[in-house]
Amino acid sequence: MTLAIDVQQLTKVYNGRIRALDGIDLEVKAGHIFAFLGPNGSGKTTLMRILTTQFRPTSGQASSFGLDVVRDSAEVRKIIGYVPQETSVWADISGFENLLIYSKIYGVPSGRRKKAVRQALQRMGLEEVATNMVKTYSGGMVRRLEIACALLVEPRILFLDEPTIGLDPSARKAVWQNLTSFKKEHGTTVFFNTHYMDEADLYSDEIAIINRGKIVKSGTASELKQSLRSEILRFYSEDGNNVDERTLNDIRDLSMVSNATLHGPRLDVAVEDGERALPLIIGVLSRAGFTFSRISSAKPSLDDVFLRYAGQINFKEGGDDL
Amino acid sequence: MTVNDSFREMFAMIELEMRRLRHDRTEIYTRAIQPILWLGVFGSVMSQVNAIPTGGIPYIDFITPGVLLQSTIFVSVFYGLTIVWERETGILKRLLVAPASRYATVIGRSIASGVRAVVQALIIFPVALLLGVRFIPNPFYILAAFLVLFLVSGGFAAISIFVASVMKTRERFMGLGQALIMPLFFASNALYPIKMMPPALQYIAVMNPLTYAVDAVRGLMISGDVSRLAIDMTAIIIFDIVVFTVASLNFRKIIE
Ligand SMILES: Nc1ncnc2c1ncn2[C@@H]1O[C@H](COP(=O)(O)OP(=O)(O)OP(=O)(O)O)[C@@H](O)[C@H]1O
Ligand SMILES: [Mg+2]
Repeated sequence: MTLAIDVQQLTKVYNGRIRALDGIDLEVKAGHIFAFLGPNGSGKTTLMRILTTQFRPTSGQASSFGLDVVRDSAEVRKIIGYVPQETSVWADISGFENLLIYSKIYGVPSGRRKKAVRQALQRMGLEEVATNMVKTYSGGMVRRLEIACALLVEPRILFLDEPTIGLDPSARKAVWQNLTSFKKEHGTTVFFNTHYMDEADLYSDEIAIINRGKIVKSGTASELKQSLRSEILRFYSEDGNNVDERTLNDIRDLSMVSNATLHGPRLDVAVEDGERALPLIIGVLSRAGFTFSRISSAKPSLDDVFLRYAGQINFKEGGDDL
Repeated sequence: MTVNDSFREMFAMIELEMRRLRHDRTEIYTRAIQPILWLGVFGSVMSQVNAIPTGGIPYIDFITPGVLLQSTIFVSVFYGLTIVWERETGILKRLLVAPASRYATVIGRSIASGVRAVVQALIIFPVALLLGVRFIPNPFYILAAFLVLFLVSGGFAAISIFVASVMKTRERFMGLGQALIMPLFFASNALYPIKMMPPALQYIAVMNPLTYAVDAVRGLMISGDVSRLAIDMTAIIIFDIVVFTVASLNFRKIIE
């Protein structure tokens, strides 16, 4: 099966100085929803702009369904839909008119046009404001209109650069429900950039994390979380007796433990695999004579994954916070 | 990219402009004020002086073609501002990712601007009539004159789009736009015959597409002398082809 997106050794250097992409390799399977995560300025938009044929990479290759984004750019443009990070609708005409103009640019046949426009409006919950001027829309309505414009033409791949930025939680949820049902209906591949970890977690089939122009980690959400091999076990002291320094060091010396810190009467231990580490830790603690009333464990969230691979905070050396 | 696709794209761009115009006509009215002052005040006063050899035509009639052209070209030259604004938002990125050729996009938008410019001229035209300007009473001549207005405005819109794709920011664009338009007007036969100019300026006037446009429109609307129409039209069409091509070649760079 051809890949929806295939990127090999892609680099982009702006103005001979700024290395925005530094050897990207990436594969997206057809029909998948792919989330591209990364901090500000890490190169997400740059990659999307190359994939949408806006400019050429400095070196390397990228293709969509076997079409090269440089050589076959005109063909690529026929199969993609795109919502840029910035506002991309005309503010001095109505939402309906925006959709109508787009449907004409994309050559939606006149017989289907009206229906397609109406469907797109309905899908994004914009029927009531369809005939109002876009400049009277709220930020969330504008974003929904932009997505509606992109869905209208039923692309094979949909590129969304931070699609839900500025949307309230319920609007975000509604947009994603619509996107997923659209994807189910049409088999569309979706590639989106985001800062929202929960979105990537809930709606993506696969995730890649980019930092400083390099992909630092990729996989499914659960693979990424497991890859941290980090779980935090919390031991709550019964009598308020703090663990002494020597015991703390003994715990740190256990092979499965990456760190252990005290937070008042609470002992936090970061481990790779909680189920196997727990008996060992309890062993050390009971030999030293400490008892605990409660033990809890916190599995890593995608936020932790992001911070681990793209954030400045380092888990192993983390001082106060584990 | 088939011819069909390109036409579709062009028509969509024209429709966009018409819809915009329908929602907000104030700009068209405010931009009519200046040319009306040129005719009503400058033209009327200078008509009394008889200082300029116009070949027996009242001065206000003599400058009407130039003023019409100036007002339409004004619309075109500042059309680039729309493009700069669309660049600042994501509109152009999105448009350039659509399956349309850059030629269709640039020509479509230039034509759209040309249509807008003709609407502008249509507002000034009746005012000129009221001010007593005597037009050649031949509807075909008048129609042909408007076609010239349209072709020239479209060309200047393409220049403006080109400038927008080079300058990229509003401030730089405004600077150049202002610097361009008045010299263009003065270094043409819009306000006085070329023969009256100093030789250096005459040379510029001969290279100025506005000169040919004024000559054509003046022949069709005012003097009825269309002996040079073929030359004028050739010059205008060459001008259009050159600027459309140059603007299209550069257009994708605007989003870089
Ligand atoms: N047109 C450009 N010219 C020069 N440098 C650019 C351009 N666009 C982006 N950059 C630089 O390239 C780097 C990557 O930027 P990019 O916009 O791809 O990041 P991003 O991951 O999308 O960030 P954000 O989350 O803030 O949108 C940054 O250092 C940015 O300053
Ligand atoms: Mg970005």
